[in-house]
Amino acid sequence: MNHTLRAYLLPLQQLSDSALPTGAFSHSLGLETSLHRCEVHDELSFADWLTQFIRIQLVHSDGLAIRLAVEAATEPELQRVDRELHAAALPREIREAGVKMGARMLDIALAVVPSPELQLYAAAVARGDCAGHPALAFAVAGKSLGVPLPELLAAYMFATVTSLTQNAIRGIPIGQGAGQRVLAGAHSEVGDGVVRIQALGREDFGVTAPGLEIAQMQHERQRARMFMS
Amino acid sequence: MTETVLATVGRLGGPGEWAGRLSLDIDRRAGRSIAVRQFHDGALRIFRPHYLDHTGQVCYTVINPGGAYLGGDKYLIEVDVAGGADLLLTTQAATKVYRTPGSRAEQHQHLRLGAASRLELLPDPLIAYRQASYGQVTTVDMDPTASLVMAEVVTPGWSPDGELFRYDEIRMRNEISIDGRLAVLDNLLIRPGSGSPVGGMSFMGRYTHLGSLLVVDARVDAALVDELHGALAGMDPHGQLGITLLDGPGLALRALSVSSEPLNAMLATAVDLLRGRWFGQEPLNLRKY
Repeated sequence: MNHTLRAYLLPLQQLSDSALPTGAFSHSLGLETSLHRCEVHDELSFADWLTQFIRIQLVHSDGLAIRLAVEAATEPELQRVDRELHAAALPREIREAGVKMGARMLDIALAVVPSPELQLYAAAVARGDCAGHPALAFAVAGKSLGVPLPELLAAYMFATVTSLTQNAIRGIPIGQGAGQRVLAGAHSEVGDGVVRIQALGREDFGVTAPGLEIAQMQHERQRARMFMS
Repeated sequence: MTETVLATVGRLGGPGEWAGRLSLDIDRRAGRSIAVRQFHDGALRIFRPHYLDHTGQVCYTVINPGGAYLGGDKYLIEVDVAGGADLLLTTQAATKVYRTPGSRAEQHQHLRLGAASRLELLPDPLIAYRQASYGQVTTVDMDPTASLVMAEVVTPGWSPDGELFRYDEIRMRNEISIDGRLAVLDNLLIRPGSGSPVGGMSFMGRYTHLGSLLVVDARVDAALVDELHGALAGMDPHGQLGITLLDGPGLALRALSVSSEPLNAMLATAVDLLRGRWFGQEPLNLRKY
């Protein structure tokens, strides 16, 4: 029996902390539009929204981007993933959220894992060759740490799900207990997502759905907003 | 232009690979745009060109003599608009996708836009019937000074007893590169919802029809996006219109509805506003019906 802690575990936990100061607490990624329309109004309807968000955006954009970034053997391949991820975010606020949170995540990740790969990616973002995105900063850090892909995907997806649930607790509002039940219920969905991501093809990159995209676009014009997206 | 012609011919797939293919090179001759090379094969044809106004913009109409796309059918459309040329490409009738057991129908479109060229791609609606599955992939390689407008309406077909058919899935992927750099990756999965108020709210919700418009043009800015939103919001019966600024610069518009009419009206209003604003053209009237 191995009594040694895997070296990546604590850095991974640090980067997956829902309280990580990336600004995720101020991004609802379209949820606030569904709140405004009263489509999401309680624990059950939020769990439904979250399931769809995982299946659409977390799997096909962030998740697949992480896998492709880990598989990228060269700097240009990573830059291509960055470009596709940025170009696939049609709603302006989603694009801006990726850039803002990407810069924060990159700073934090560099402090936790100052690897040459991460420094190269940070330099490409600083030059403007890359747009930056939290999923990619996370992926490159995880690759440097040697985190197995399923764990890396699960950690990122569950961190995002946790942030969104904290936002729902404040925004709907629902109780902390209800939030924890939704999170526990999301375990299997995230697990299924991890499996799906590994079976997707390049043509699946950035797949989105009309309802989610329209909600994300409409948020730009919503009055009295709690969130930036 | 000669080099372009050769490159276009070289890109075509081998015979038998496509159910239908169409290739069109547009250039400017004596103040008007015209096809300087055209090619079609299989179940895609093209009508002779016509001119709807005095701007020199040429209009070509694609026809599918077979009338429908079936499982496994693959179609290829290649269009090259040379520098300064101006093309409006439309269809004779709706594209109908019937049952596609085992293998989805596909259409691949490769569009190239030279300097200061323009393409308006305004097809009739895509109608998907029961158990239809369809994939459309459009790649656009455009000069930063070119102007692109592409619209799409997706509707379910009606069954003989008046019920809306539930198609399986439609995928529409648009990859727009400006100067060789990917600017817009629009990869839409359209899957009919469960019909319940909450079920599938992020897919189609209780709506059945989708309208989509992409514009990439250096003249697009936030003020134009606001103006278009102002012009269209009152035409959106369900509060299901989204419009946003793209990095192209450009704009993307999406709308959901329970019928085609409001979607067609919103897209036509947006297209006409741009035609008038940028090209001094009258509202579009294709006189197809």
